[in-house]
Amino acid sequence: MGAESNDPLRIQYLPSLDGLTVVRQAPPPGAGSFSATYVGPAGWGFDEPGAEGTARLTCQLVTIAAGPYDRVELARRLDRAGATLNRQCAPESSEITIWGPADEWERLLDLLGVVVQRPRFDPEDVRHARRQMVERQLRESTQPAHRAERELLRRIFPADHPYHGTGLGTGRSLARLSRDRLARFHQDHYTKGSGLLVVTAPAKGEAVRRAARRAFRDLARTEPRKLRIRAPRPATGGRRLIDLPGRSQVEVRLGGPSIPRVDPRFPAAFLANEVLGGRPLLSRLFQRVREHGGLAYHASSDLEAMRYGGYWVAQAGTGADRWKKVVPMIEAELRRVRESSVPPRELDLVRESAIGEIPLSLETTAEAHELAVDAAYHGLPEDHWRSWPSALRAVRPSEVREAARTALGPTGSITVIAGPVGQG
Amino acid sequence: MWYRVGSRNEHPGITGASHWVEHMLFEGSPRYAKGEIDRAVVSVGGELNAFTDVDFTAYYSTVPREHLDVPLDIESDRMTRALITDEEVARERTVIFSEREGNENWPEFRVEEELYQLSFREHPYRWDPLGRRKDIEQMSAEQLRTYYRRFYGTRNALLVVAGGFDPDRITQEVRRRFGPLPAGGEDVTVHEVEPPPKGERRGELSGPGTTPYLQVGFRAPALAEPETPATIVLDAILGGETRLFSTGSGWGRSGEHPSSRLYRGLVDPGLAVRATSEWRPRSYPGLFTIQAQAAAGISLDRLEVAIHRLLERLVREGPRPAEMEETRTKVRRAVALAYEGASRTGFRLGYFSVFRSPRLEDEVFRSILRVSAKQVRERARELFQPERRTVVRYRPTGVGNGS
Repeated sequence: MGAESNDPLRIQYLPSLDGLTVVRQAPPPGAGSFSATYVGPAGWGFDEPGAEGTARLTCQLVTIAAGPYDRVELARRLDRAGATLNRQCAPESSEITIWGPADEWERLLDLLGVVVQRPRFDPEDVRHARRQMVERQLRESTQPAHRAERELLRRIFPADHPYHGTGLGTGRSLARLSRDRLARFHQDHYTKGSGLLVVTAPAKGEAVRRAARRAFRDLARTEPRKLRIRAPRPATGGRRLIDLPGRSQVEVRLGGPSIPRVDPRFPAAFLANEVLGGRPLLSRLFQRVREHGGLAYHASSDLEAMRYGGYWVAQAGTGADRWKKVVPMIEAELRRVRESSVPPRELDLVRESAIGEIPLSLETTAEAHELAVDAAYHGLPEDHWRSWPSALRAVRPSEVREAARTALGPTGSITVIAGPVGQG
Repeated sequence: MWYRVGSRNEHPGITGASHWVEHMLFEGSPRYAKGEIDRAVVSVGGELNAFTDVDFTAYYSTVPREHLDVPLDIESDRMTRALITDEEVARERTVIFSEREGNENWPEFRVEEELYQLSFREHPYRWDPLGRRKDIEQMSAEQLRTYYRRFYGTRNALLVVAGGFDPDRITQEVRRRFGPLPAGGEDVTVHEVEPPPKGERRGELSGPGTTPYLQVGFRAPALAEPETPATIVLDAILGGETRLFSTGSGWGRSGEHPSSRLYRGLVDPGLAVRATSEWRPRSYPGLFTIQAQAAAGISLDRLEVAIHRLLERLVREGPRPAEMEETRTKVRRAVALAYEGASRTGFRLGYFSVFRSPRLEDEVFRSILRVSAKQVRERARELFQPERRTVVRYRPTGVGNGS
């Protein structure tokens, strides 16, 4: 157990509650709000074949009605407290976050406990949530950005890999999801075992732990099965065009598999991605494609480093008559970051910008809380965000190039172009 | 830095000029070469961006307090000295197009653009701040420079500084930097007056998509008008929250509201997948809108009838006492946490000030707490008249082949 700290950049791991990892974070000075997040091993990577959509649907239903509160009463309860409840479902996990006034933190943590432990799965709510998921599937199928992303992941990862899909399932798989099946998924995956609770509140560690014990006393202790992780597909490269007539914009995605967050090369890989397209306004993709090329409104890259692996993606949204110029530009910038050392001046600028962003994340409790959830989910040291600047400053230009070869490559990027490509 | 200049100050031929000028103010001046504004802020650990609305354009930076001079220097420079060269305008034209095209991929954008186009015939609210395609194609660099010189200047500007700083020193610094600037900026008053609508207006669009969607708009008051508090209460009762006083850690609407009338009247019975209302604060009368996405197998005719009935009932019966109390509680709670962090504080101060003064928020807030159910019902009766209504429906043609 770490020392008590009022520094929001230092998280504190408290003794676990029957397998539930509990983490405390002090809110930023002067903040009047509170946030708490339960993270469960309940991502869509756990969906059974033929039952895709289970994790997302369960996650949605958890935040709709729970315990004594039907959907209207839960909404009113939150409104009366000035609180909000948010959810996020990812391949590996699902997160449920409550936010509200700091002076009500214990009552709101109790409410989070009710929501996580006792979702109602009322039949009408199940029908409604399923309708919304079907509508979302259809809606995303019409959008070039979603189509391009979905196709990219399909090509990078094999069918039974957690990162292969979007977790939305299909109309057919959703139709199979009975209330009982969703309740069973909840019982097996919203657990103390492999679960995480992060609390950002104006309270000492002991008070947080006591409140967490009370709020989550009925959470099952079971340890869910482990995710089965297969290797990504061999990088073969290739290009896929998805013609979607009638749209205005073409979305371009290039990507490939990458490293997990805890990989020791992550700081260098992080900087490689920032140089390529991750750093707003400064990155090479933004500068070349938008600022100097005038070819796109957005041009950037992301490094999704997760617990069991990851992927990188470079992206741009452009016109039907311009994508043929944009794709070679992105490819050229990828080659440059992999093959040449980043000039020290450029690296310093990008690095100091990334470091400078950390204090800006302490403006509000909600933003600081995101840092804590991220560090705790990956089991990073308590002082991770305090020591992150020195970790970044220790990275040499040659290490950035090496990391780019591993984490943004190595070769054979897959390219997907979706939109009115037939008009170009 | 807020300017009381937005798409309302444009005219056909130069629609989108405010937004385009906003882009150009990052593209260089004699003091800051292209790209240097971005580098100056991010190199000290700050962030910056800008946005354009119908009534205003705002440029913001958040920096560590010891570097407050950096954005002050940038803003005092680009208020009057942006270059807006022919070359940069030509290059940015495709960027602006790309931004617009990204929006056009969404049916909601197309429907809303059509809704405003149909609802307003005289007033410049009839076009989107992104501008019309034809104007983006044809607008010249000289037209943009003229627009910039005409409206940018201290008379139309509002500087908001929020966070930890020494007020005396900053006041001196602001005087030193902005005081010598020429007092520029023409009158931004909009003289076109939109005549009252004399009947319902309707439009229909079709395009890629899978779910029928519609928006219904009603002519609504400007922010500073006395009807505003009751309009905000109506928005909260129908859609569950209201833009100016929404609960949550962000700005704007925070999600679904199962206790709202639209949700209970349209989503609960399976007529819509989602449904919400929105009244956007405006300097001049704008629109109060209802937006709904039809559920599978539900026709837009049926959905529209359900919306009209729901509104008629609100007009007939008025809000319930519990709805009034819930709305007051929500607004009180939202205000209590609205000023967390320097960026949010600066945004809220600027937002209300650009319409009138920082006190406007408190005035509206107190009025909402005082408004009666009878006043809200009366407001609903005036607002939701069929002859003040515009309806735009979107008929999807399918996913497309995706080959």
